[in-house]
Amino acid sequence: MGNEVILRVMGLKKYFPLRRTLKEILMFKKGRSVKAVDGIDFDIHRGEVFCLVGESGCGKTTTGRLVTRLIPPTSGRMLFKPSPQTLKHLPKEILVDGEYVELSSKLPKNISRLLRREIQIIFQDPFGSLNPRMKVYDILKEPLIIHGIGSTEDERRKLIFKALEEVKLTPPEEFTGRFPHMLSGGQRQRVAIARALLLGPSLIVADEPVSMLDVSIRAEILQLMIDLKEKRGLTYIFITHDLAVASYICNRIAVMYLGKIVEVAPTDEIINKTLHPYTKALLAAVPEPDPSNRFKIREVPIKGEVPSAVVIPPGCRFHPRCPYAMDVCRREEPPSIEYSPHHKVSCWLYARR
Amino acid sequence: MALLDVKKLKIYYYTLSGIVKAVDNVTFSLEKGEVLGLAGESGCGKSTLGYGLIGLIPPPGRVAGGSIVLDGKELTKLSSEELRKVRWNEISMIFQGAMNALNPVYTVGFQLAEPLIIHKGFTKREALERAAELLEAVGLHRNMVRRYPHELSGGQKQRVVIAMSLILNPKLVIADEPTTALDVVVQAQIMNLFKKIKNEYRLSIIFITHDLSLIAEIADRVAIMYAGKIVEIGSSEQVFNNPYHPYTKGLLNSIPRIRHKEKITWIPGVPPDLRAPPPGCRFHPRCPYAMDVCRREEPEMKAVEPGHYVACWLY
Amino acid sequence: MKLAKILENESFRIFIRSVVSKAGLTFLFVMVAISIYVVATMPLDFGIRVWSNPKLWADNPKNAPPIWVNYFSNPKLMEHVRIVISKPARVESVEGGGKIFTYVVTYRHGYEQFPQTIIIRFQNVTYYTRYTPVIEVSVRRPDRLVIERLFVWRALTTAGKPPYVRSERIDIEGYKEAAPQLSTFLLREFNITITPERILSREVPATEIIMGKPTVKDENLQFKPLKGRYVFTFKVRTYSDKDYVGGIAMVFVGRAYGLMGTDNLGRDLALGLIYGFPVALLIGVVTSVMTTAIGALAGIVSGYYGGFVDEAIQRVCDVLNNIPLLPLLILMTFIVKNPASKIKISPLAVIVMVLIAFGWAGLAIVIRSMVLPIKSQPFIEAAIAAGASKLRVMFKHILPQVAPFIFAQMIFFTPSAILSEAAISFLGLGDPSIPTWGQILEASYRAQALQNGFWWWVIPPGILIMYAAITFVFIAQGLEPVVEPRLRTR
Repeated sequence: MGNEVILRVMGLKKYFPLRRTLKEILMFKKGRSVKAVDGIDFDIHRGEVFCLVGESGCGKTTTGRLVTRLIPPTSGRMLFKPSPQTLKHLPKEILVDGEYVELSSKLPKNISRLLRREIQIIFQDPFGSLNPRMKVYDILKEPLIIHGIGSTEDERRKLIFKALEEVKLTPPEEFTGRFPHMLSGGQRQRVAIARALLLGPSLIVADEPVSMLDVSIRAEILQLMIDLKEKRGLTYIFITHDLAVASYICNRIAVMYLGKIVEVAPTDEIINKTLHPYTKALLAAVPEPDPSNRFKIREVPIKGEVPSAVVIPPGCRFHPRCPYAMDVCRREEPPSIEYSPHHKVSCWLYARR
Repeated sequence: MALLDVKKLKIYYYTLSGIVKAVDNVTFSLEKGEVLGLAGESGCGKSTLGYGLIGLIPPPGRVAGGSIVLDGKELTKLSSEELRKVRWNEISMIFQGAMNALNPVYTVGFQLAEPLIIHKGFTKREALERAAELLEAVGLHRNMVRRYPHELSGGQKQRVVIAMSLILNPKLVIADEPTTALDVVVQAQIMNLFKKIKNEYRLSIIFITHDLSLIAEIADRVAIMYAGKIVEIGSSEQVFNNPYHPYTKGLLNSIPRIRHKEKITWIPGVPPDLRAPPPGCRFHPRCPYAMDVCRREEPEMKAVEPGHYVACWLY
Repeated sequence: MKLAKILENESFRIFIRSVVSKAGLTFLFVMVAISIYVVATMPLDFGIRVWSNPKLWADNPKNAPPIWVNYFSNPKLMEHVRIVISKPARVESVEGGGKIFTYVVTYRHGYEQFPQTIIIRFQNVTYYTRYTPVIEVSVRRPDRLVIERLFVWRALTTAGKPPYVRSERIDIEGYKEAAPQLSTFLLREFNITITPERILSREVPATEIIMGKPTVKDENLQFKPLKGRYVFTFKVRTYSDKDYVGGIAMVFVGRAYGLMGTDNLGRDLALGLIYGFPVALLIGVVTSVMTTAIGALAGIVSGYYGGFVDEAIQRVCDVLNNIPLLPLLILMTFIVKNPASKIKISPLAVIVMVLIAFGWAGLAIVIRSMVLPIKSQPFIEAAIAAGASKLRVMFKHILPQVAPFIFAQMIFFTPSAILSEAAISFLGLGDPSIPTWGQILEASYRAQALQNGFWWWVIPPGILIMYAAITFVFIAQGLEPVVEPRLRTR
């Protein structure tokens, strides 16, 4: 893992406007919005597995969709460094610093399509992410057709077979003719991975890729992803709610809460030198297969549940649930504090005042 | 005598494309105040077993054999009317996703109190008072009786559902994946609630989940199901610390743990189609230790240590 | 080659399992078969050239019931008979030029009734000189009596250039030339005196004199039909060798006609009804295909694009959905049918167009609501992430998901289109040049057929309209479990 930054996200925001209520229209109030992602910064280095961890509604999935350009951001920047062969095809004038592309700007269609090949996504639901009316072969052929890869059917067939072999669906001809419902969950997720790989991406956003799979096959998919990463030199943004899975596969973990990253650090640091009270609470809540646990009540230091992303608490957005909340937390939003190199936390407890 | 005694229970679904043996020759028992964790992958029949115990198997499924004895009463022989009385009075069930099945047009209090008014002849005031008490017991404020479901958060709703299962003082509660839709923090809170209930009420609980970690949090004894059969059953310590069956071992090794960095493994292959399960031991196609006998004959449950039973030819 | 595949298809198996869909398919098959037959055998402008051409129907009995009523009634009604002879039985040459053609028409009468009348047609009598052909008609009756020279007909010279061509239709009732001969015949053979005037005024019908045996009962002269063989001989004398007669037709106008009877203009209802099949099919299929195509497209675009496009399409749909269709249809056809109107469009086309224009909105709203959840399915996002264009997503990924529903809707819409057309036609706003079942019904209603007991004119078109509607309703019902898996029973 080098220090080459492949993706730099700065001040990224995504607000989903709500329909204005009648009262709001009558009182000429501005419509409210769900602040799914509310200003996040992070860098991703080539070759690493970067994890976004948080509870439902924290904005981790939205972040993944923003990076894959499935939805446009409200504001903020996403600088992406394409692979050299893609870089060759990009006009100089749209590049930032000569090697980065601004993903949040509106790109011309052909460039947008070119960049789609660079960033691919794997979804959580292997049942929903494959078109139920298409055979595996056609599902895999689609990206090839869209991008005009392979000029003859023969060439495409070879590529598809190779992709299936890569995700260990062998022999390929046994799977190409099947519909998604004829595959197990794990096999479906492999097809989804194969589809993502066919375009030769450098960055893959994996949105909870194993959380809907049976426990016994999760490890297999995770191992496959690790192997593919090594082989292809991939970079992952791994989105999960499961800290155990995150700690297993990721190099760095960013913990999100209500649209913000509250703590980001290498995996070991996050787990062993936890700083943010929310991260601590998450870690404390993770169940472990240890039967002696049943005799003790788990200490979960925080109370309540995640508030709605429409009405975000003032100051530190975690303060209503925080056992250490101070006056300043209620008034001001904490800055991102570099506690140690590579370990950043957004909490007033660690501000040097 | 055990509170619940299940012997050779068979629950089959008679579908057009064949008989699905969702639960096949399952035998176990449950003492009073004991929590049995029922674990297995999706489609292993653990939920069907839960439904079978309270007599609510969705058609075309039905009990095809075996017995369920609750407190000396044979449940499989009861008429549907008698069974209805047993349900909720003696056994209650927390269904998967029940928190989203609360009726949005009635207050939480009314939904809690209704069975008391109908079954126990409580007045409305008495019933609501009892509901409020129960809400406090599950960690909610008693004022919640006047709230509507949409005003509650996911965790609060799940607490209400747990309260509902307790309202008629059942002897046995079956909880089917009660925390799947919840976030980790809330899940931990709900698990704490289960522990509290278990201690305070001396309740017997059958806790059904795919997540072995959750079972370790609550269960005194653990049953591992695979393809409609219990393959291993024993105390939590026995199963977690000293697993015998290759499937149990595989499952335990596939769980990533935060503070242990060892490599996790997996069980190759996929669970069998229950319409045509493989002959012999149903696990043999995925088993690394499969022998000839495994392919031919079904293993019987054998005691490997006191109270620890395994169905595997290795022992 | 693909048929085997269809038969193996699971959806098709589910579809064909139900009795309703089997019935529906059988009905449809019959409908299509008849339509093919009609298109192959009947002229496309049947409406104008045949149906609305009174000359063609002049010889037919009016308001005659179908012949099969004879199975249920006594006395038997006389069947309508038309005999056409194109070849002469004998040709003799006459010295000094010209020929004598002898045509013989044999008719066997077997009813206790007289024909309503006898009509004789000379077709295309062609001649080249001013000496025009003469036709002499005589009859030999079953009782061996002969009416010699019943009448003599002579083609009158036509102005212009030869060849001169004439056709003549002679209704024996009220035919001046025949009356004196019949009077003489009665006097000679039966010693009964009837003046030609009384014959001409139809007091004593000519048909009855020709085909009956007179009896006098209580001073009243009555005729009893003579059963048996009648031989009509036509001697044609021409005066040039080139002259000839195209053909001779005799019509014994009966009291029962064809498979489905006739209407008040003597039109063969069987023809009109059978012609209704392809028309109904065309109206139904064109309307439903167009409607569902537009509706599906609008719905998918609306649902997938969202925002302003969605809002615009949905508001249009709301408006279209809330305009009452029937009054509008009446107004539109009224405008088009107005002779002063400058718009020259078939009212049928107007009906179809209005049905399409106002029919798609409902479907568009439903399809949109189906597209919304599909749109947020991960496989759609996966396609977008792979770089698929909007068109590709809409037609490759969304359309196949809703296609079964669209197909079922298309079939479901067919009967309503057929019924709407029938309703409009029944209100007298149909297209007179294209007979439809609705128009036949309307004509019967106008002629007060029901009050007069002409049930054969009212019931069959009604049944056929129902038949067509039910065909598609059955198929749609059979499709429902395919489209809506929740309805599948095991």
